[in-house]
Amino acid sequence: MKGYELFARTLKDLRLGPVFGNPGSTEIPMLREIKDYVLTLHDSISVGMADGLAQYTGTPSVVNLHTLPGVANSMAFIHTARLNRSPVVITSGQQDNRHVYYDPLLSHDLLSLVGDAVKYRYEARNAEDIERSLKRAAMKSLEPPMGPVFVSFPMDVMEEESDYLGLAWKYPNTALVDMNEVEYVAKCIEEAASPAIISGSEIDAYGSMEDAVNFAEKVGCPVYAEPLSSRAGFRSDNHRFAGDILPATTAMNMLLMKNDLILNFGGDFTIYPYLQSPLLPGKKVITISLSPSFRYGEFITGHPGLFMRELTKIVKPKGDFQRPEDLSTGSAAARERRTMGVNFVLQKVRKKFHDYVIVDEAISSSVAVRKNLGYRDRSYFTAKSGQLGWATPAAAGISMKNPRVLEIIGDGSLMYTVQALWTISRYNLPVKVLVLDNQGYSILKSFSTSFYPGVEKAPFLSFKTDIVKISEAFGVETREGDESLDELDWLAEGETARVLVVHVDRSIPKLFF
Amino acid sequence: MKVLIILPPFLPVDDIRKIIRQILPDGEILTSTDFTEHNAEVLVATTFTRIDRNLISRLPGLKMIQISSTGYDNVDQDAVKSRKIMLCNIPAANKESVAEHVIAMALAHLKNLIHFHNEILKGNWPVLTNSMDLAGKTFGIIGMGAIGRKLAERLLYFGTNTIYYDPVRLQEEDEEFLGLKFYALEELLAKSDIISLHVPLTPETRNFIAGKQFNIMKDGSIFINTSRGEVVDEASMIKAIQSKGIRAGIDVYTQEPPDFSSDLFRLDNVIFSPHIAGVTVESQQRFITETVSNVMKYVQGLQPLYRVL
Repeated sequence: MKGYELFARTLKDLRLGPVFGNPGSTEIPMLREIKDYVLTLHDSISVGMADGLAQYTGTPSVVNLHTLPGVANSMAFIHTARLNRSPVVITSGQQDNRHVYYDPLLSHDLLSLVGDAVKYRYEARNAEDIERSLKRAAMKSLEPPMGPVFVSFPMDVMEEESDYLGLAWKYPNTALVDMNEVEYVAKCIEEAASPAIISGSEIDAYGSMEDAVNFAEKVGCPVYAEPLSSRAGFRSDNHRFAGDILPATTAMNMLLMKNDLILNFGGDFTIYPYLQSPLLPGKKVITISLSPSFRYGEFITGHPGLFMRELTKIVKPKGDFQRPEDLSTGSAAARERRTMGVNFVLQKVRKKFHDYVIVDEAISSSVAVRKNLGYRDRSYFTAKSGQLGWATPAAAGISMKNPRVLEIIGDGSLMYTVQALWTISRYNLPVKVLVLDNQGYSILKSFSTSFYPGVEKAPFLSFKTDIVKISEAFGVETREGDESLDELDWLAEGETARVLVVHVDRSIPKLFF
Repeated sequence: MKVLIILPPFLPVDDIRKIIRQILPDGEILTSTDFTEHNAEVLVATTFTRIDRNLISRLPGLKMIQISSTGYDNVDQDAVKSRKIMLCNIPAANKESVAEHVIAMALAHLKNLIHFHNEILKGNWPVLTNSMDLAGKTFGIIGMGAIGRKLAERLLYFGTNTIYYDPVRLQEEDEEFLGLKFYALEELLAKSDIISLHVPLTPETRNFIAGKQFNIMKDGSIFINTSRGEVVDEASMIKAIQSKGIRAGIDVYTQEPPDFSSDLFRLDNVIFSPHIAGVTVESQQRFITETVSNVMKYVQGLQPLYRVL
């Protein structure tokens, strides 16, 4: 077999596909046998789509990038996939080995370029490497912490001959629980005065929501969602759910002031911005995770859901936390009706889209999105890295497996990868896009108001774009919502992509401590 | 960086100390100022602590004073200036509370609540009433700062016709957003059924509302002052209450505590509160949060907000 045939055959064996990408001359040789290809109009969009798809399915997806420019264009998205713990197999072309000495056009040390954004990186030396490096990369992508891997293929390797060996492959086992540690944590809970639980993204990623709920029911402690989690940490309609933890240390400390034991299942402490307070001083903090960061407190390596399952069997109840009924959302929505505030918009959205997967990149409204729409299993996704432009590609990727996807995005974020709408249109992906248009970077205005007052008025934080025209130019039906928001019915209709632009309140929210 | 926090002893100091240990480990809490010298760079205090030249002299390294309140009358500003110390307050954390207090006073008058309460305590069961609705009344707000705006926002839901006066007129879109109409002061006084005062005390605003202004007001109108006592000429107010049937809601006084032998406290149609319109459990929490946040900005090397000196 020729190298390019081995490439296609290995992807098929690994059940990896479609290939997301935007090809260049370097990749044409390796794509000759690829039948299932999704074209994006910017390299980074293919990584975002693959990220969304991989997170939603829990299995690897595959991308093909155009050597140096394609990889460089995609670096922010590769970093996001790393932080999202998304198993994306990234491939790229590389220049022909026979003239690399001359630094030809497009040549570069790609392995250095991807750096630590990937957990495995390799450049094939010969045709034999194609099957084994791709299989190794796919398996590595699922090893905790899951994340992107990278393999590059020089053009000449694709012309070499080799046999397809059908090498054995198996995705890694993650069902790891140390029973001694389970007993230790049960004892810590028993000895603590007031434990609190943090439920993180691994709970949803490993399908452990039921285990988390059962554990919370038994132990009776409040359950918080991991700060800045990329996906749901818990079911927000559960009466043990106490809300999100804010990422600032001071806010975190004030929230958990009365708790002496913090049990963090499958999450981490993402912090921003810097505040003087130390992180959770004087508290016992134990993180149970398949991929511990060892940043703070004690760590136990293990499957957080299965750990909770075992812990539920022996733990003694430690309270009966009941979240007080939240009566504020309805009245907040009613109050904000006349200003087109986001709480008003999102309460209307909730009625229509309560069972949709939400992909959130409405940065300054994200707290409101989480509060109004809540968390369910595999129902909420956002970029852990803080980058903009991720949501539209990710929503497109998820919609390939679930037709009920609502992307909620700000006007600023939309513009980063707006040409993803072309891919959505071209492949008939049923993404519903709600644009909360506040004509600027509201999150930066809020940050400025808190820390650098006056800068919020700077002209470089505001802009106005005609989203309707832009979106329609890419072939997606688009409308503007009026005060009644009746257009939400139109947005929800059918399984075709639609964009609804809502001009929301432009006053600056207070989002920072 | 050493942060000294001086709190009045009636606060739950032990609980606050636990909180400070979590969020500002270099913070030290004292309940008095009887130390000889302290090496603090930042002083956090409430209005209950008098920060005079003597206290400042015992803080040789002091660079910033944060008062956890809107007012900072307790600080010797000349002493602060001469040492080039930064002084910050926390403005407007009580705007919600004051706005609600004003509305409560207006409603208490309109609904005759004090009268009914007293009658029932006397064993009477009054069946006649001249209670009135707030809806449809013309509500005049003098001073459209943070509290005035918050009051205007709240009044939208009561169905009042809200008008305002401020030396600096709002932008047209802000007026539209709040449903406000601008009038010159005299016109506002003449048109309003209820008048609420929200101006700072400055040399220009001392006795801002006096005999002439009270004479313009409608007979029987409601006049509420939650700003500063010195903004109103008290003798003229007493006369207007007696002669024009004006009903008043008074939270602030020329002298605090006031001289209780004053005729003011012999009047029937006045509701009093002890300069406490902005003090609620919630507003105190907001003051604490804003204070901590602002001190942390300074400690981290950022410019703190709300600098007054």
